Amino acid sequence: MTVTGLIGRICMFPMQLIINACVALRIHPNVLTFVGVLINIGAACALGLGKFVTAGFIMGVANIFDFIDGKVALEMKAVSVFGGFWDSVIDRFSDIALFIGLIYLYSERGRTDYVMITALAMMFAIMTSYTRARAESLITKCKVGFMERPERIVLFLIGAFTNRMAAVIWVILVLSVFTVADRIIYTYLELRDGRQVAA
Amino acid sequence: MKNPVSLPGRILWHAFFWTYERATWQYDLMVIAILAFVWLTPPDWLQDPMATGDGPVGWILTRLNFER
Repeated sequence: MTVTGLIGRICMFPMQLIINACVALRIHPNVLTFVGVLINIGAACALGLGKFVTAGFIMGVANIFDFIDGKVALEMKAVSVFGGFWDSVIDRFSDIALFIGLIYLYSERGRTDYVMITALAMMFAIMTSYTRARAESLITKCKVGFMERPERIVLFLIGAFTNRMAAVIWVILVLSVFTVADRIIYTYLELRDGRQVAA
Repeated sequence: MKNPVSLPGRILWHAFFWTYERATWQYDLMVIAILAFVWLTPPDWLQDPMATGDGPVGWILTRLNFER
């Protein structure tokens, strides 16, 4: 077993308890998704105030909601096309909120360089999702590239708890640029080889 | 999409397009490399607006300079 696999399995134990509680209380998964974004906005405010550890705890709670909504939907047999759409859209708001919190913090401190780096990281993080969504309207699957949302969230948590947010933003920026490039090139090659899905 | 036939070509291909799943040893390696960058790079090198302290590498470099 790999280290990341082991960490995933350990984290699944408390998650399953929370999922079971939500299913027992019949909390609709779309509500969980919405609560997640509201809590993430709170985390963004803490980031904006430079309270990284507080932001880390709030992000941790918010992302429990983000993580469990799909599993709760499955267990409650409440999976819907709109639920998938709602989850994707709300996740983008959560992503953007965290970046805006950091942009506010760096602009308050007069650090135009990091305002730009964070804005670019935000742009490529959003483009990572957009390129896959758009590609998968043309080809069957476009799951290439490393830096997806779970990786971004874990990096934000590490940056917040260990006060290494600048390094984290650099990693998110560079790997998101690669991920977007991967998806564009992959889609081009698939279409060139005639593997377009039927309209 | 066709993969390159040669081993170095395949390694480069998979590394660039990153087709590895989570919880594989390749994913673990990538995570270790990222964590090493985040935790070992001295904040001064990145002109981190928030971090304090030199970080482990900065601490070692300071000690080495001090020894000389």
